[in-house]
Amino acid sequence: MGLKEKYHEYQRPILGMASVIGLILLWEFTLTYLIPVDPFFFTKPSLIGTAFREQLSGERLWHDLAISSRAFIWGFSLSVIVGIPLGAVMGWRRRVEYTLDPLLTALYASPLVALAPLLIIFFGVGLLGKAVLVFLLAVFPFIFNTSAGVKSADPLLINVVRSFGGKELDLYLKVILPGTFPYIVAGTRLAIGRGLVGIIVGEFYAASEGIGFAIQNYGDTYRLPDMFVGIIVLSAIAVALTELLRKAELMVAPWRAGEEIR
Amino acid sequence: MTGLASFYREKEAYLLGIGFVVFLLAIWECVPLLITLPRGYALFFTTPSRIAVTFYRLLVEGKIQEHFYVSVAAFLSGLGIAIAVGLPFGIIMGRSRTLDALSDPYVTALNATPRLVWLPLFILWFGIGIWSKVMIVFVGAVFPLLINTYAGVKNVDRVLVNVVRSFGANEWQVMKVVVLPNSLPYIIVGLRLAIGRAILGVVVGEFFGSSKGLGFMIASAASNYKVDVVFTGVAIFMGLSLILTLSVKKLENSLARWRPETTKTF
Repeated sequence: MGLKEKYHEYQRPILGMASVIGLILLWEFTLTYLIPVDPFFFTKPSLIGTAFREQLSGERLWHDLAISSRAFIWGFSLSVIVGIPLGAVMGWRRRVEYTLDPLLTALYASPLVALAPLLIIFFGVGLLGKAVLVFLLAVFPFIFNTSAGVKSADPLLINVVRSFGGKELDLYLKVILPGTFPYIVAGTRLAIGRGLVGIIVGEFYAASEGIGFAIQNYGDTYRLPDMFVGIIVLSAIAVALTELLRKAELMVAPWRAGEEIR
Repeated sequence: MTGLASFYREKEAYLLGIGFVVFLLAIWECVPLLITLPRGYALFFTTPSRIAVTFYRLLVEGKIQEHFYVSVAAFLSGLGIAIAVGLPFGIIMGRSRTLDALSDPYVTALNATPRLVWLPLFILWFGIGIWSKVMIVFVGAVFPLLINTYAGVKNVDRVLVNVVRSFGANEWQVMKVVVLPNSLPYIIVGLRLAIGRAILGVVVGEFFGSSKGLGFMIASAASNYKVDVVFTGVAIFMGLSLILTLSVKKLENSLARWRPETTKTF
């Protein structure tokens, strides 16, 4: 009986694991025994596994990851540095919001990736072009989430601080910043997704190194197992970052956990 | 005087917002008049008026229409398949705990990773015709739809379901009377996000393996330094996404007036 209760407790992870393992086995089995695999168009888990081992011990994968993450970190830091103050001012000053909101909303809603060819030609195929692209995509979640966070500051709390003789600075540090923090964390998660799009498109478009380039290059040379390794590594990083931030969101604002839309 | 002042006060938000955009465009237009750009930069530079002229020229020549139809076809078929797959799967995942648990790892992993990483594979499998674009639009658009439908179904009030059940409704009737109306606002949010992803898929898909479409027009113009053509293409994509997302947003607001304002997501 104890076993059955244990199963109920961990039903979700058990079923999830089972389905992943099942799919891998089915994939391997089908391509080994039922349909002979055409290595130019498809591959199977055992081949991906071999390629994975080789790449982990090689240097190329680590080099590509380092190149991509450097561009990502530059662009992302810049979007934090620009986005959060801009969002804070927009949330705090009504006229600034009126002025900037239509323009920024339009830019947020439009596929700025379409500018990628121009940016790459203008800033080059190296670090700068990719960093600018990441910045352009990742800055908007910071702006809009910070602004929403500042706007959500409870007027009652603001009045309390004011009537007890608190200075402007107290207001910022004690009411607005703590209230805005959960919004910024939520914005960070969105920004990471968009920033990754920037890196990938930038490297697909024109690059000679980086994880996006590796994926495309393996695709062009029909090395499917290696390509899948790239995709899996990228997915793993994306999932790790996203889940980490989701946990952080739960920590800083447990009450908002239910209302999110991905 | 007072008329003007009160007019300003009433419309301040619009006036400031539109005024700022107009102001920026005017500055952009005036840059070449104010400073002489070095030759190297002049090659990359264009002004709003030149973009407008190029837009008109391409429209008259029929170039835009030709690329536009290709892009729209990929967009619509990809989004259509995404809706046809995402909604039923979202509902099933929301209603069945087992299927939810079985598919959760894939949905999480695929949703967290930018779906554009599959583009090289799709180009390999489906060639550079329309189908690789349809597929990349599909994988981009299906997850927002699926996840939001799922959230809507999950969020159904248990009491309402039980009431309908105890009056003898079967699963189909529960769906029709309670689950679907409750999920509709979520589905609309999903649709808005899906439209954004779908347009992204069209743009990037056409950048690479393609010989037609607005994305191709942008990429090939960029490599020929035809900056005004690039901006024309970008402007068309911007216009399209704005019109589509804002109209879905309107629908969203009219369906869910009671919902508190949340942060913007696209």
